[in-house]
Amino acid sequence: MPAKRRSPQWPWQGLLVLILIGLAAGLWFATQRIHYEWRWSRVPQYFLYHDEASQTAPVAGVVLAINPSGADSRIELQPEGGGQPVAVTVETDTLKVKPGDAVAEDQDLGAVRSWKIGPLTWGLWVTIWISFVSGLIGMVIGLITGLCRLSPNPTLRGLAILYIELIRGTPLLVQIFIFYFFIGTVLNLDRTVAGIGALALFVGAYVAEIIRAGIQSIPRGQSEAARSLGMSATETMIYIVLPQAFKRVLPPLAGQFISLIKDSSLVSVIAITDLTKSGREIITSSFATFEIWFTVALLYLVVTSILSQVLFWLERRFARSD
Amino acid sequence: MIKVNKLFKTFEGRGGQIVRAVDDISTEVAKGEVVVIIGPSGSGKSTFLRCLNGLEDFDDGQVVIDGIDLTASKTNLNAIRREVGMVFQHFNLFPHKTVLENLTLAQQVVRKRKPAEAKEKAMKLLTKVGIAEKAQEYPSRLSGGQQQRVAIARALAMDPKVMLFDEPTSALDPEMVGEVLDVMKQLAKEGMTMAVVTHEMGFAREVANRVLFMDFGRILEDAPPAEFFTAPKEPRAQTFLKQVL
Ligand SMILES: Nc1ncnc2c1ncn2[C@@H]1O[C@H](COP(=O)(O)OP(=O)(O)OP(=O)(O)O)[C@@H](O)[C@H]1O
Ligand SMILES: [Mg+2]
Repeated sequence: MPAKRRSPQWPWQGLLVLILIGLAAGLWFATQRIHYEWRWSRVPQYFLYHDEASQTAPVAGVVLAINPSGADSRIELQPEGGGQPVAVTVETDTLKVKPGDAVAEDQDLGAVRSWKIGPLTWGLWVTIWISFVSGLIGMVIGLITGLCRLSPNPTLRGLAILYIELIRGTPLLVQIFIFYFFIGTVLNLDRTVAGIGALALFVGAYVAEIIRAGIQSIPRGQSEAARSLGMSATETMIYIVLPQAFKRVLPPLAGQFISLIKDSSLVSVIAITDLTKSGREIITSSFATFEIWFTVALLYLVVTSILSQVLFWLERRFARSD
Repeated sequence: MIKVNKLFKTFEGRGGQIVRAVDDISTEVAKGEVVVIIGPSGSGKSTFLRCLNGLEDFDDGQVVIDGIDLTASKTNLNAIRREVGMVFQHFNLFPHKTVLENLTLAQQVVRKRKPAEAKEKAMKLLTKVGIAEKAQEYPSRLSGGQQQRVAIARALAMDPKVMLFDEPTSALDPEMVGEVLDVMKQLAKEGMTMAVVTHEMGFAREVANRVLFMDFGRILEDAPPAEFFTAPKEPRAQTFLKQVL
């Protein structure tokens, strides 16, 4: 049989590049039409900025001496009413007084600069840790619910089914509002706690279904072999079924946690300053609407890609026994 | 060692009809005795065997293992099962554990043995079944015959008083059947009490003290192999033997 001739790939790859260029050009023309002025240079300051904190004289008095030390200068002040001299340190290039100058109380002597974390970085951090904590709690809820779902006890099974159906049948946004305005008010919860709680309950229901399917995918012979060795049902679950199920549910769990990071943007509606909320706040002051939204989208993309890489690596490590 | 009294087990089939998988079985297996159970497919051999270690809960009757009644309410089934080893048709090794871990896990979890002790026992048994060099492999890297020998060693690691075999060679390529049967013969010679469901008539002839012929959930014939294979009394056993021999 003649080998199947491989058609060349490059025309298609070329077409792909052309389409991408076309899309970029379209975007550019679109912004031209609405006279949008791109101000990408405004974006970095929302990650990290150089803050200048002005240093003022604690007392009225006279500058005795200025001792440079590195990039800083130490200003020695002799208070007006006598007593011990006081010292103020500022950065040399911001120095506003000379030795011998008389200064009033609260007079500006210079400034100290420091790097400050901007709202985008802060929002990103909030998004990551809220997702992480709610993912962790959701995992525990999901594991317990998944096991209850498979329990022979009708009460446990009924409760698990009810919970899963309630969560999966209603929108997350509505759940967050209910959790914050109803449960949060009744239990007097902090908005962050309410947000994490709503996300954890949400993801828990999906994790429960994933875990249930994972456990059911393990052949019955496995637990029969374990039971025939004298292991109890719990021991069988812990040593035999769950480790094998975990390996199988890793890919769908990964997908669920990636969704969680994206879904966590909804907690911005109850005024938690996550990445999305930070973006909205910045836009009101910077007017760089498009740039900020694109940046926010990119940040989500980076976090989810890193997570999927980590989980992919984990999956390969677990695959060593097949 | 094993005493079965008026054992009943029914399944509800898909159409709602009742299948009598085990229908009024009473028998006894003495200490050190090897009993081979044969019969056509669907005759209830597996179900009967699985009732003996409580993997299947039966509807009525009594199973007594080494003086302990399985049905008595105070009986701890887990405690019985560790005294009754079982070998399955499809091995059912734990794929996420190495061969060695397959043998040590239950020893440590159930028998509470120290890791060193469990490992020593495991290596001794692996040597006995002739695959000590595979101790660190995962089961998927072993041939079917090797896997089944590991499964036998795994059951033996619990120091069972009784061993149950459910068609241990049926899933094996023909050239691997011998190695597994040899291990089982060895075991029988050492005085292990065994109940074996098999289609290996040669094994039954050579090793069994008694042959039980089952059909429709009943034991139709219970005789020493010499008698059973030369002059079966039951017409159905006669037809069955004609088909398999
Ligand atoms: N879990 C079950 N649910 C419903 N019916 C079952 C179940 N297990 C077994 N049966 C039925 O019980 C009867 C006996 O089955 P069993 O597996 O004990 O037969 P067997 O003698 O071991 O057959 P084989 O030689 O094919 O393994 C069969 O009719 C089977 O369909
Ligand atoms: Mg069977």
